Amino acid sequence: MTEFPALTEDEFRKLCDFLYRRTGMVFNEPKRYYVERRVVERMLATSSASFTDYFKRLRADSAGEMERFVNAFTVNETYFNREDHQLKCLTSDLIPQRLRHKKPGELLRLWSVPCSTGEEPYSVALWLLENWPLVDDYEIEIVGSDIDTQVLEAARAGIYGKRALMRLPPSLIDKYFAQLDEQSWQIIAELRESVRFTQVNIVDEEQTRPHGRFDIIFCRNVLIYFDDAARRVAAENLYENLLPGGFICLGHAESMSRISALFDVARFEEAIVYQRPAYQGGSRGE
Amino acid sequence: MPLVRKTDKGKPRSEANPAEVLKALTQGTQDERWAAARAAAVIAGGVQALATALRTENDSRVREAMFTSLTRIGTPEAVSAILPLLREDDASLRTNALDALRTIPAAVREHLPVLLNDEDADVRILSCELVRGLPTEEATTLLGALLTREPEANVCSAAVDVLAEVGGPSVLPALDACAARFSETPFLRFALKIARDRILSQSSDIHD
Ligand SMILES: C[S@@+](CC[C@H](N)C(=O)[O-])C[C@H]1O[C@@H](n2cnc3c(N)ncnc32)[C@H](O)[C@@H]1O
Repeated sequence: MTEFPALTEDEFRKLCDFLYRRTGMVFNEPKRYYVERRVVERMLATSSASFTDYFKRLRADSAGEMERFVNAFTVNETYFNREDHQLKCLTSDLIPQRLRHKKPGELLRLWSVPCSTGEEPYSVALWLLENWPLVDDYEIEIVGSDIDTQVLEAARAGIYGKRALMRLPPSLIDKYFAQLDEQSWQIIAELRESVRFTQVNIVDEEQTRPHGRFDIIFCRNVLIYFDDAARRVAAENLYENLLPGGFICLGHAESMSRISALFDVARFEEAIVYQRPAYQGGSRGE
Repeated sequence: MPLVRKTDKGKPRSEANPAEVLKALTQGTQDERWAAARAAAVIAGGVQALATALRTENDSRVREAMFTSLTRIGTPEAVSAILPLLREDDASLRTNALDALRTIPAAVREHLPVLLNDEDADVRILSCELVRGLPTEEATTLLGALLTREPEANVCSAAVDVLAEVGGPSVLPALDACAARFSETPFLRFALKIARDRILSQSSDIHD
């Protein structure tokens, strides 16, 4: 595919370390092919003569290379209604618990982070519209965030293929999507406008903090790419982004108990989630 | 449509004043100590202040944030600030220290030969856990050496648990030597046998 030689061990280590420090994502020897393919792509795209040349460009962030480099390494796999048992739990338990602390008309904040191409936050919006009778009585803010700027653009456009929609009933697709052609459907403008998309690196508190505090955070299928040290930093950052008593939902292969003792385990019929204790970090019973 | 689009609500953080952070670390309210624990990761003098504050902090969440900051700093000085806490009487402080060290295997690695020889058997037991994160060859060498000299059955048992998971076949003679020394200790003999079987079956899988 390329005339570039493979990375030396030292180059490979340097590159993985660079990526780790900036994103929390861990790549090691078994992932060498994945890493090399992407580096070579970026080297070709930037007309770099050698790895050293490219790495210099990357470190200097010339022409925004840092962002493109990170975009090339993220794994963005996602689809609508992924782990929908958590959506059920959202309306059967999580939201009702949060509402005990709120008056009608008050704001309920939900954060899908990372949101990848937007399927997750849009699924939440659709689920609430379809399954939560009180949806008109509260103001609901849904934010979707990701480190990858390219997926955020796709999320804002809201155009999806069959694979992404596979778990949505056809009636919902008819109701909330406009078919563009044989292969693609766009989620309707009203829904696109109901989710705000922002860039965030969850291992950087300078970036997480400005998002403010949420009632419920979905942080699914990203911690699996981190090592324990980065997981802990992410857990602490997201802890700060939760209102006391707020909930965080992880992916099915992820367990907060193995990462951090900050959260309480909250077991519900449909899902096990984690909760920021109500008495911590704010006024009691908030 | 009832779902609303909102404008950005968050406010950026004001720059932390290092002197205030260090003071808040021990004298602040719980919220202030939490924030200071996190901020201390990026200010000069953070390591010393965190190490001192850890000895008096009694809120487990603030403590966790202090440990995370030390591991984020990750310098040899920061690691050396955590290591003595493995010796603490307070069990939760000890496990917090262990959990923190577990997240930075590369930085802890050079301390392991000394830790595995510590005069305190509890420290040796906790250190066996830290070996779990190392590559097979290194783990096998370190724990194999421990098994040939360790007088305490509980420590051997901790080492054997880890070896059963990560050990290579070169540790088999050390397992046998240990079994011979502790022939009167059934629980250890049993653990040794399981580890031996597991290592053998794993190494035959590899060669198949
Ligand atoms: C597999 S997707 C998960 C999407 C969705 N949450 C789901 O479960 O279907 C993982 C996403 O994590 C993002 N990501 C990786 N590192 C990140 C970081 N440090 N901060 C924020 N997002 C990150 C990637 O860009 C990618 O879009």
